[in-house]
Amino acid sequence: MDTALTPAMFQVLLALGDGEKHGYAILKEVEEQTDGHVRLSTGTLYAIIKRLLIDGAIQECRQRPPVEEDDQRRRYYRLTTAGRQVAMEEAERMERLIATARQRHFLKRLKPA
Amino acid sequence: MPAQNLTRSERFYRALLRLFPFDFRGDFGPEMEQAFREQRVHAQRDAGKIGLFRLWWETIAGIFTTAPAEHLSMLRQDVRYALRMLRQNPSYTAVAVLTLALGIGANTAIVSVIHAVLLKPLPYRQGDQLLMLQQRADKVGLAGIGYSVPEMNDYRKQNSTLSSLVEYHSMQFTLLSKDQASRVQTGVVSNAFFGMFGVKPILGRDFTSADDQPGAPAVLLLSYEYWKKHEHADPNIVGKTFQMNDRVHTVIGVLPPVPQYPNENDVYMPTSACPFRSRPQLIANRNGRMLSLFGRMKPQVSLEHCKADLSVISARMIRQHPEAYAKELGIHTAAVSLRQELTKGAAPMLLVLAGAAGCVLLIACANVANLTLARMAGREKELVLRSALGAGQSRLLRQLFTESLILAMLAASLGVLFASQSLKLLVDFTARLTPRAREIHVDGYMLLFALAAAFLTSIVSGSVSALYSRRDLAAGLKDGNTQSTMGRHRVQARDILVVCQVAFSFLLLVGAGLMLRSFSKLRNVDPGFVPQRVLAMTVDLNWSKYVKPEQRRRIADRLLEKIQAQPGVSAAAISSSYPLNPDDIGGGPNQPLSIEGHPLPEGQRAPLSAIRSVSPEYFKALGIPLIAGRVFAESDNEKLPDVLVINRAAARHYWPGEDPVGRRVSFDKGAHWIKVVGVVGDVREFGLDQEPGDEVYVAQAQTPAFASIVVRTSQAGMDMSNQMRRAIFEVDPQTAIPNVQTLEQARNASMASPRVMTDLLGIFAALALAIAAFGIGGILALTVNQRLNEIGIRVALGAKPGDLLTMILGQGMTLVVIGLGLGLLSAVALTRLMKTLLFQVQPTDPLTFLGVSAVLGGAALLACYVPARRALRIDPLRALRGD
Repeated sequence: MDTALTPAMFQVLLALGDGEKHGYAILKEVEEQTDGHVRLSTGTLYAIIKRLLIDGAIQECRQRPPVEEDDQRRRYYRLTTAGRQVAMEEAERMERLIATARQRHFLKRLKPA
Repeated sequence: MPAQNLTRSERFYRALLRLFPFDFRGDFGPEMEQAFREQRVHAQRDAGKIGLFRLWWETIAGIFTTAPAEHLSMLRQDVRYALRMLRQNPSYTAVAVLTLALGIGANTAIVSVIHAVLLKPLPYRQGDQLLMLQQRADKVGLAGIGYSVPEMNDYRKQNSTLSSLVEYHSMQFTLLSKDQASRVQTGVVSNAFFGMFGVKPILGRDFTSADDQPGAPAVLLLSYEYWKKHEHADPNIVGKTFQMNDRVHTVIGVLPPVPQYPNENDVYMPTSACPFRSRPQLIANRNGRMLSLFGRMKPQVSLEHCKADLSVISARMIRQHPEAYAKELGIHTAAVSLRQELTKGAAPMLLVLAGAAGCVLLIACANVANLTLARMAGREKELVLRSALGAGQSRLLRQLFTESLILAMLAASLGVLFASQSLKLLVDFTARLTPRAREIHVDGYMLLFALAAAFLTSIVSGSVSALYSRRDLAAGLKDGNTQSTMGRHRVQARDILVVCQVAFSFLLLVGAGLMLRSFSKLRNVDPGFVPQRVLAMTVDLNWSKYVKPEQRRRIADRLLEKIQAQPGVSAAAISSSYPLNPDDIGGGPNQPLSIEGHPLPEGQRAPLSAIRSVSPEYFKALGIPLIAGRVFAESDNEKLPDVLVINRAAARHYWPGEDPVGRRVSFDKGAHWIKVVGVVGDVREFGLDQEPGDEVYVAQAQTPAFASIVVRTSQAGMDMSNQMRRAIFEVDPQTAIPNVQTLEQARNASMASPRVMTDLLGIFAALALAIAAFGIGGILALTVNQRLNEIGIRVALGAKPGDLLTMILGQGMTLVVIGLGLGLLSAVALTRLMKTLLFQVQPTDPLTFLGVSAVLGGAALLACYVPARRALRIDPLRALRGD
């Protein structure tokens, strides 16, 4: 990746984690997975998509849904292996961060299972 | 989806998308519209109007933050790519940047000067309201005879258009300090003078009306330059006293650095402190015209209105005091705006230089466009490939413009460097023409102009290349053969560029050639004296010590004796002035005279003659030849009747076909007659470019007017200047010697502006010639390369080297000849503008035109010959196999 991964980019990668989606579906997914805290606008979303396409983190799907569900104006995107790798690394980084925060008592200790 | 089927909000969203770069819009636009449509439907369903409002708000904010970032990233990409292209072609880059830099630098420098001198408002408060009054005597050809005190008072009292009217005159005082005497140029002004101009002292205070009362203590304001140079910018200068002539003056302030007009002064004093101006006889004398008048027009008064007001007063004055306004003089008053007056000397030269610099920039632009086109032939494959890979047409154009803009920016930064380095030269040059030269600085305007020139250049050269690349790319895609897509219109474009370069170069070369011819005429003109080994000194006696004519005569005699006794002096004389004296530029005093035996027909004006008062050895010292009769002798003194020597021009005019020796003239309409004893050669007194006028010499001993000493020496003149100074100080240490120069120096100084003008135009023309020759050669080399195949076939079929040479040279020279023709036509039309700058050369001087055609044609032929020679050495087999 040429550029640093911003939180919004990370959210988009996460949204694509369970399969390919078109633009509007990504917007909805991001909104849902953050309980409505992160609402991307179309401009921001497509600037991110362009960036991720150039960096090779996502790609456009050649396969399209069945004709009756398809809309020609939509394009579908999915994670590449590299993109998944990037997202995983970011998640691990965050996990380590959280662990440190917990150690230093910034967060409550997890109850033992 | 066609726009008419969209809802209002969809149309609005589409309009917002236009903020993104073209490519981004192309890639994602339809998708974004679709996503937004769905967003809108859901927002309305879930949260109604509030939901819609929130969506719009987030969408608009999002577009306004992401669109600029997208533009920026695109630009960054373009720049990176362009830089890589330029690095890969270092010689192309170097040539393009250097030629453009010279063009931009020349223009930036000249425009900075023009801006400071001609365009900027005067550095005085509301400078456009300021004007200068000019009392003219048109019937005797005098443009400014000055005003007397009673005249000034009349204009002050009677005018209705001026809010203020102030006087000015300048004279020299001798400043006596403990080491030696020096001359201070002193402006004598009304107390309201600086207030009217809106100039406030940077130290101390301005004059007040109390300073201007008769008997008030003498006070001084120092000019900024004098304060800096002679008082080392002493912050405690206010209150210091100066002993000037017989009076002690107290400094009350220092002026800011502003252009001083009509001339630069060291110090200023109010009128009451000037011994001449304060004399009651002068104040009452309507004929005592020694003042310059400046006025400020009331707001909303036009210059025309003001002129009319002043002429009414002038006419009334003439009616009331006919004795002071002799009819044959034709006295009347005119007014000119101060701004125009300050810059009239500089405008023609600066405009010609600006034209020349503009030509150089155009030639450089054409050259870069040409280079770009030529290089694009080599890049055809790459461009076609890029466009096939989906780079839009506009994307490629954007890339081309970015490249030329980067070139131009590099050139502009180099150009600013050139400009700031050459500015000192230009300031020195302009200072001879206008007091506003001091306002020229390297400033924001200069940078702004360089930037503007860079943009203009990139637009000109970029659009030429873009225009001709457009259609070719489509063709290139179709057949993919890079050789054959060298479209016809591109070839034509390059031919046109070459023709333009030749035409502009011709124009510039003719301009430079005319100046050169004019300058060489000027340099070879016979000044009427022998300037080698003559030292001329301006000498100011402390005039308050030598009041009576008898005292002045005695000190002059003593000084002359002392100088003549110095070793190495072969002739020495005292005189009222000397030829090409910088103080005399613009002409000396002219005196009307009557000629015995030639009474003036009614209504005709008396002839005017320049007057010089000289001692006997003057003619010998300067090498002015005696033509008839004799020159003055020691015996021509105050005890004998006055005698005259006249120059050849006067002899021819006053007594055509007769012997003037023994004839008589009168300066007082026949009350006294003075005999002519000799005729000497004509001298160009007031400038080498000025035809000698009538001149009358009177004897120093009979009409003393001592202001300079001329000495013919046996060694180089300047070597003896210290010896002469010492000799003068031995006689009277209170003598100021403000100016010592050899007459060769005076002669060179008088040619300085035409010389610099010739040099500058010469540099521009040489530049143009080099760029144009380079352009022609480059184009031809490229053509030869592209026609290798054809040439190979011709050689294989038995074409002789001579035929090939003729063919290739013919192709290049056809363009050159067309360019020469166009250049010739435009030169005939445009060189007229230079008429005032030329001396003894016509603007359409055939010799210059012929010479320039030969030089340009020759250079072009040489430039064509190099690539043609290459064509001759082609191995036909290799060319035919050609890849």
